[in-house]
Formats: sequence, structure tokens, C-alpha cells
Amino acid sequence: MNVLLCAINTLKRLYDISAVEVGQHFYWQIGSFQVHAQVLITSWVVIAILLVSAILVIRNLQTIPNFGQNFFEYVLEFIRDVSKTQIGEEYAPWVPFIGTLFLFIFVSNWSGALLPWKIIQLPHGELAAPTNDINTTVALALLTSVAYFYAGLSKKGLAYFSKYIQPTPILLPINILEDFTKPLSLSFRLFGNILADELVVVVLVSLVPLVVPIPVMFLGLFTSGIQALIFATLAAAYIGESMEGHH
Amino acid sequence: MLVGLTTNGPRPDPFRCGTFQLIALLSNPLLLSNPILRLSSYTHPNHKAVAMANMIMASTKPLVPVCTNSRSPTSKLPVLQISLPKVPTLKLKLPMSKPQMLSLLGGIAPLVLAQPSLASEIEKAALFDFNLTLPIIMVEVLFLMVALDKIWFTPLGKFMDERDAAIREKLSSVKDTSSEVKQLEEKANAVMAAARAEIAAALNAMKKETQAEVEEKIAEGRKKVEAELQEALANLERQKEETIKSLDSQIADLSQEIVKKVLPIA
Repeated sequence: MNVLLCAINTLKRLYDISAVEVGQHFYWQIGSFQVHAQVLITSWVVIAILLVSAILVIRNLQTIPNFGQNFFEYVLEFIRDVSKTQIGEEYAPWVPFIGTLFLFIFVSNWSGALLPWKIIQLPHGELAAPTNDINTTVALALLTSVAYFYAGLSKKGLAYFSKYIQPTPILLPINILEDFTKPLSLSFRLFGNILADELVVVVLVSLVPLVVPIPVMFLGLFTSGIQALIFATLAAAYIGESMEGHH
Repeated sequence: MLVGLTTNGPRPDPFRCGTFQLIALLSNPLLLSNPILRLSSYTHPNHKAVAMANMIMASTKPLVPVCTNSRSPTSKLPVLQISLPKVPTLKLKLPMSKPQMLSLLGGIAPLVLAQPSLASEIEKAALFDFNLTLPIIMVEVLFLMVALDKIWFTPLGKFMDERDAAIREKLSSVKDTSSEVKQLEEKANAVMAAARAEIAAALNAMKKETQAEVEEKIAEGRKKVEAELQEALANLERQKEETIKSLDSQIADLSQEIVKKVLPIA
């Protein structure tokens, strides 16, 4: 029995050392508001990565592209393809929006998984992917909501609201509900995936730091990439859906 | 809420104590981050309830075996009513019956007991903490959209489209020149044929001319030759005649001689 007590105490000590800091934020005060500084800092790093790499590559463009230019061309083609598939012929004005969503989420997720954030010790909380915070994901989802409303209204004017009674007026409450569930599901899908993946990796690392977490880390990379693609595709699909069909 | 506990009664079963501690450990972060718990209000330390709970605990045999934290084996028993912690708790309602309160306390006690060392560091865990970060991120993403469009999507997009158009044009133009080439070829052939025909005609004419000339000359020559031939023949005839004539005379002489020689004696 004593042995068991000892084991439990060791566990407790391990728990104290490797405490998972879920929901611990590093707060900054701006006026009378608080912000999650760790999210802002990591998002600045993500933006810096994107802009600096883009500037470096797009400086001199050649007809036969070198490796960097080829990669950036591939990404742009990919984004254009996603937009075109989902939105249709008038996809060109929406490529920057969809592309930014995709790239921001993708680079955030992968930076959270790959960059050694733990090196930088914050006084409170820790640095991780900016998308593991509900504020980021809801911000992105709300932007998508605004975008598809804007798309529908700018293309059809007030006739856009006829889509609420579209197949039959009985579905009006469901259609209205859809306007709330779309951003909700977008934000929670991304938030849950990224936060849960981080938690699983951290807990596994705290338990078995050697080899076992590695497959989970690869799984995390894979799913976080997929989540970025899903978010962008769904955003494009919603925009396409609200722009479609001049009946 | 930290509740004071006494350890009257028999020595607690360490196994059960440890299990409770373990459960407490494992459920701790969940408890902290459980938003539902967070949403409930904190309670002002309900002195009356606490006092009543203590009395209950002190008087009866403890239903829940308690054990001191092994970290501080010589510690005093936890004091009644420690300072107000920030641990989210369930709301305690006074009108609860005693056994209900007891079981509730029995459920909370091991959880709470596991935390004395963490009490100072526990703060409200905030997973669903919306604040100014949200609009700031929106602004950042919009800024990123404009910047990426200016730096990457538009320039590279234009470049790629131009390149595609150029390639397509070259491809289509290649097809055109091949038909042009065929036309030119045909023209060339026609010209060549015409030229050849011209040449052939001229050649024929020339041939005919020269042939006529040549035949003339040949005829002339032949005539001359014939004439000479005739002359020569005539000459030859004459000579023949002459020789025959001379021979004739000689033959006569010769025959005379022969006869003379042959018939000398005669």
C-alpha cells in the first residue's frame, strides 16, 4: 500500500512539473479591454512569415520559374482552383479572401506544431498556434459570414433575402438558423481540432517523451492542414452558394 | 471551498485514500476548465453551512476516509475556513437536507483535499474568453488580405496569365505558319514547273533549229563528198581504162615475148 502511495505521489509531482496550461492566457491591457497577448504575438509572427516570404520570392519573376517562384505559383493555382470550383465563373475578386483565410490558418496551425515556441517563456500562459484561441477562430468565422452576406447582397441586392423562403417558406426558421450555425460550426471545428491536437501532443509528451508522440504529431500536422483547407473551401462554398443562381 | 476536516475514527484505508487522490488529480484540469462550472457564480463563504458541515463531520464516523497530504506528513489538520479561494464551486443551498449536504461534501472533499498545494496558483481557466482580441484579429486578417493581394496574388497572377496567353498564342501561331508554308511550297512548285516547261520549250526550239542547220550542213557535205566520190570514181575508171589500155598494149607485147620465149625453137 505504501508503494501505491509513492507511485501516486510521483504522478502528482509529474503532473505539477508538466502542468498543461489550458486556458491560461497572457493578458495585456489596452484601455479598458483585455487582450490575449500570446495570440497577438503568434499572429504577428505568422503574418511576418507570410509577407516576408512573399516579398522575397515575388521580387524578380522569370518565365521559367525557379524553385521558390514555382512553389508560390503552385499555391496560387491551388487557391484559384478551390475558389473556381466552389464559386464558379466570377471567382476572381474572391481569391484574395479565400487565399488569405487558407494561408493564415495553414501557417498558424503548422507554426504552432513546428516552431519551438516553448523557448520563449511568457510570464503567464504559453505561446502556441493562434488558432487555438476561440477569439481567432470566431473572428475568421465572422469574417466569412460577413463575406458571404456581402457577396449575396452585392450580386442580388435585396432579392438576396428571398433565399430564405427558397424551396418552401416552411423552411424559413431552418434557413435563418443556418446563418448562425454556419459561423458557429466553422469556428468550433477549427478551434476544437487545433486545441485538442495541441493538448494530446502535450499530454503524450509529458507522459512518454520519447517516441510515442511522434505519430500523433504527424497526425496533427496532417489534420491541421486539412482543417485549413476545409475552412477555406467551406467559406468559398458559402460565398458561391449565396451568389449562385439568377433564377 | 476548503472545508475543515478532522480525522476521528479509525485509520483511513490508504488504498481508498490514494484512489480518491488520483481521481482528484485527473479530474482537476477538467474541473478547472469546465466552462459550465466557470459560469456559475462564486459563493460567499457560507459560514453557517461550513460550520454545520464541520459539526456533522466531527460528530459522525467519516463516511469518506480522509488522509493527510503525504507531502506534509507532519502538517496540522487543515484549518477551518481558510481564506476565500478563487476555485469555482457549486452553489451550496442552505435548504439542502443533511444527508444530501453530507454526500455533496463527501464528493467535494477529496477533490478539494488534493489541492492544498495548488491552491495559490489556481485561477479561473478561460477557454471561452472573448475580449478585444477578436476584433484585433479581424483587422489583422483584413490587413493581411490586402497586403497579400498587393504583394503576391495580383503580381504573380498577372504574370502567370500573361505567360499562359503568350504560350497559347505561340502554339496557335505555329499551326498557322505550317499552312502558310504549304502554300509557299505549292507556289514554289508551280513556279518551278512553269520554269521547267519554259526551258523545255526553248530547248526544243533550239534543238529543232540546230538540227535543221546540222542537217543542211550534212547534206551539203554529203553532196560534196558524193561529188568528189564521183570524181574519184570517174578518175579511177579512166585510170582503169588507161591502165587497161596500156596494159592491153603491154599485154600484146608481153604475149609476143612469151610466145617468142616459149616458141623459140619453133
